[in-house]
Parts: sequence; structure tokens; C-alpha cells
Amino acid sequence: MPNLIMFHGRECPHCKRMMPLVERLERETPVRFDRREVWHDEENADLMRSYLEIIAPKCGGQLRVPTFLNPGARDAVCGEMPYEDLKAWALKQG
Amino acid sequence: MKKRYWRCFVCNDIHFGIAPPELCPTCKVLQAYVEISAEEARKFLGSGQDVALAPEDFRGAIERFAAGNEFRVNPDREKVDLLLSGIFENEKSHGFKFCPCRLRTKNREEDLKLVCPCNFTVHETYRGVPNGECWCGLFVRRT
Ligand code: SF4
Repeated sequence: MPNLIMFHGRECPHCKRMMPLVERLERETPVRFDRREVWHDEENADLMRSYLEIIAPKCGGQLRVPTFLNPGARDAVCGEMPYEDLKAWALKQG
Repeated sequence: MKKRYWRCFVCNDIHFGIAPPELCPTCKVLQAYVEISAEEARKFLGSGQDVALAPEDFRGAIERFAAGNEFRVNPDREKVDLLLSGIFENEKSHGFKFCPCRLRTKNREEDLKLVCPCNFTVHETYRGVPNGECWCGLFVRRT
């Protein structure tokens, strides 16, 4: 599986809702996310900013959390979504 | 156009904007504003009394703000509590009440659009959406 990143914020309700779905996805499939909290960790924030050009066009022109990113394929999806959508996106990444 | 500083010649209210207010919101005098320098404006603002705004005060402030609008503060108390804690954490660590569900880019002008409440009425999650919300879900359209 490619290296996938989940950017999230500790006090972001969408992220809170998505976290159990990410955990379930990791239990049920070989998908793994590198979780990066961006409001309390400037290194993670800088990492997310470094992907602005990939993320912004897919996320309303902004850096929003949660963002699920495949840096290799330059693909990203953001926000709250049903489990099946997250799974389909992650498995599509190869 | 650049925003400038203005002072009410009656009550010393300070306004920062492209044009002065026609009516002073404090003393209700018409055509009362005269342009001043940023330096003098900061002195007026800096000499004002300290007004703290705790999370509970901010909750009241956004509720009063929403009362006159087509949206309201989300009735989901748990969600609002989580957001308020993030907003205040961000103010403490990063200087402004930044949105907990987005990240600043370090471009100052862009980042000032992320101060809560932001102008979410233009966001695709709100504009034209019958049960629209701000990106975080702090404000929801009244149905
Ligand atoms: S999206 Fe909602 S919570 Fe975030 S800054 Fe705007 S109004 Fe505040």
C-alpha cells in the first residue's frame, strides 16, 4: 500500500467523527494512515502546508481537516464521508 | 482600497475601514469621524480598558450575532464545546481565534479569513444549501 497521510485537528468535529472509521479501515484492510495533528504540532502543520498545491484544488481552495492524502499520486480527499467512500478512495490508491 | 483609521470627534470611538461610519454607533452623532494615523489609533485602542472574553462569553457573543441572522449556533452542545476549546487553544498558541477545522497557510491576508466567525456564508457548504453549515458545523442555517 502507498504511504497515505491523514491530516487532522484535535478539536475538529469532522476529524473526531472520521477517526473510528479510519481505525475500522485499518482493521479490515491493509490500508494504513500516517496520522498528523496540525494545530498542536507545527512540524505536521508545515508538512500539510508543503502539500498546499495538491490539497487546495480538491478541498475548496483551502487547507481543511480532515484531509486524506496520497502524496505519491498527488490525490486528496477531505471532510466527513461515509465509511464506504473512504474505503473506496483508499483502496483505489493501490 | 486601503483601510484607514477614523476617530469620532465626540466620543473617541475608533473605526478601521475604507470609509468612516456616517452615524457613530456609540454617541449617535452624524458625520462625526475624522481620519487619524495608525499610530494614534493604536494609542486610543491600547488605552482602553481590558475586556476579557472567556469561552462562555464568546458563546454568548456568537449567539447574539446569530440571533439577527438566518443561521444559528449549532444546537449540538458537545460539538460546539469542542469547537470553542479549539478556537481558544488556537488564540492562545497562534494569536487569533483560528478555525479548528482548517489550517493557516502563513499568508497573513488569507489567514485573517480563518478567524472565527469567518464569512462562511460564501462557502460551498453553506451558500445555496438548504441545511447548510459553516465548514466546522459551528453555525447551521435555520430551517
Ligand atoms: S468554519 Fe465555522 S468554526 Fe470555522 S471559522 Fe468559520 S464560522 Fe468559525
